[in-house]
Amino acid sequence: MTGDSVTGDGITGDSGAEMLRVVVDNDSCIGAGQCEMLEAETFLIDDDTMISSVIGTGMLPRERALQVVERCPGRAISIALE
Amino acid sequence: MTNAAITPNVTDPGLYLDGIPHDRFAQMRDTPGLVWHPYLDDGFWAVTRHADVKEVSKNSEVYSSAIGHTNLWDSEADALEARRSLIDTDAPDHTRLRRLIARSFTPKNVRRWEETVRSITGQLLDDFIASDGGNWVEQVAAPLPIRVILTMLGVPIEDADYLVELSNYLVEGTGDQQSIPPDAFGNTTDLRLLPFNSPASHALFEYGEKLAELRRANPQDDLVTTLVQAAAEDGNRLTGNEYRNLFHLLVFAGNETTRTAIAHGAMAFADHPEQWDRVRRARWSGDDGVLETAVEEVLRWSTPVLHMRRTTSRATELAGTPIAQGEKVVMWYGSANRDERAFTDPFTFDVGRPDNQQLSFGGGGHHLCLGAFLARLELIVLMEEMADRKMTLARRGEPVRAPSNFVHGVLSVDMGVETA
Repeated sequence: MTGDSVTGDGITGDSGAEMLRVVVDNDSCIGAGQCEMLEAETFLIDDDTMISSVIGTGMLPRERALQVVERCPGRAISIALE
Repeated sequence: MTNAAITPNVTDPGLYLDGIPHDRFAQMRDTPGLVWHPYLDDGFWAVTRHADVKEVSKNSEVYSSAIGHTNLWDSEADALEARRSLIDTDAPDHTRLRRLIARSFTPKNVRRWEETVRSITGQLLDDFIASDGGNWVEQVAAPLPIRVILTMLGVPIEDADYLVELSNYLVEGTGDQQSIPPDAFGNTTDLRLLPFNSPASHALFEYGEKLAELRRANPQDDLVTTLVQAAAEDGNRLTGNEYRNLFHLLVFAGNETTRTAIAHGAMAFADHPEQWDRVRRARWSGDDGVLETAVEEVLRWSTPVLHMRRTTSRATELAGTPIAQGEKVVMWYGSANRDERAFTDPFTFDVGRPDNQQLSFGGGGHHLCLGAFLARLELIVLMEEMADRKMTLARRGEPVRAPSNFVHGVLSVDMGVETA
C-alpha cells in the first residue's frame, strides 16, 4: 500500500510517506498504555475495560505504525493487511 | 556446557558493593551465543545483550514467569503459590491482574497525580536545602516515591517511614544475610513462603490487610479501595492471596525502584555537572525535550532492577544457543543498558541521548513495568523542581551500596547542595 496522500477523517500523509492502518486485538491488550503515550490521537484506553481501541481511521505513517506495533507489550497491535 | 573461556560470576552479592561488575558483563556480551552461568548446584543462561533481552521479554509463551520463579533460586510449589503476584504469572492470570490495576498507571491517569508529586518533591527539596544537604537517599530519594505511592494507595503519610523500613529489610532478603530474626514483626510464617524470604513481608501483608479492612468499611478514591472492590465482586477477580501480594508488590516496586533511580541520577548529575547544567538551562528556557531525554538517560544509567529470570516452557533457541525446556534464562538489564550494539558510547552519561531504548522497565513484553509512567513523572518533576530552585548537587562522599545482585540499591550518599 503506497500513496503520497491518504485522506480520511482529515489525516493526510506527508508527501511520499506510506500510511499503514493499525488495529488492536482486544484479547491480547494488557492496558499498559504504551500506545496512548506514543500515539495519543490514535489510541484510547477504555477506563472500564482497560482495553485500547483505535480512534479515528487508525492510519499512521509507516515508521510510527511499526514503532507502536513494536513497543506494544501485549503484542496486541498489528498492521491491517488490506 | 559453557561457551565462555572464563567462569562467569555476576551473582555474588558482595560484588555489587563496588557497583555493577561491568567488565564481567562486557565479557559475557562479547561471547557469542549465551553464556551458561553456574549458580548454586545448577545454573542459568545469562542474557546480557540488548536485543536478546528484548527477545526473551516479548516471548512470554516460551519464556515463562509462572514456571519456577522470577528470582535466581528455585522455590517449592507451595512457596510459589503463596507469593504469586503480577510479577510471576503468565496470561491469562497475568492479564486479569494487570487489567485490574493498570487503570491507575496509564499516562493519562498518572498525570492526575502531577500536583501531588510536585508538592511532595518540593517539600523534600526545601528541607534538603535547609539542612545544607545530607544523606540524599534518606532525605529525598527514599521518601519521595514512597510518599507518592502511599498517597495513591490511600496509606497515611505518617506510616511512610515504617514502610520504608520494611522495604529496606526486603532488599536485605535478596542478599546474603538478613539483619532481623525470622520471628521479627511477630512473624510465624515459614520464611520460604514469604516474598524475599523476609519476615518484613509478613509485616507488609499484615499492614495491607488492615488497610483493606478499613477500605471495605469506608471506601475512598484510592488504589486499595479499587482492589478490595474487585475482590468483593463475583467472578473471583481477585483472591485474598492475590490482594496481599499485589499490595506488597505496589509498595515495594513503587518505592525501591524509583528511589534507586533518584539516587543514581543525583550522583550522575553531581559527577557530570555539565549535563546537569544542560538540564536546568533547558527547564529555564522551557525546552521540555531535554528533560524527557534526560529522564530516559537517568533510567538507563541507574538500572534499578538488575535482573529478572524466566524459565522455558519448551525447548527453544536464542542467539544461536539451544535451550532445553525448563531451563533458567536470566535477563541482565544493567548489561543490556550498556550494550555497545544498542547505544553509542554506552558508558557516557548524555542527557540528550537520541532514541534511547533503555531497558530499565524491562524488555517490553507483558511484564513491562506497571509503574513506568509514574516513575517518569516523578523523575521529570524532580528535575524541574531542582532546576526551579537553582540547585546543584555535589558529592561529599562515596555511596554505600546494597550488597544485592537484584536491586542496584544505594543505601546512603552524602550530598552537598548549592542554590545559585
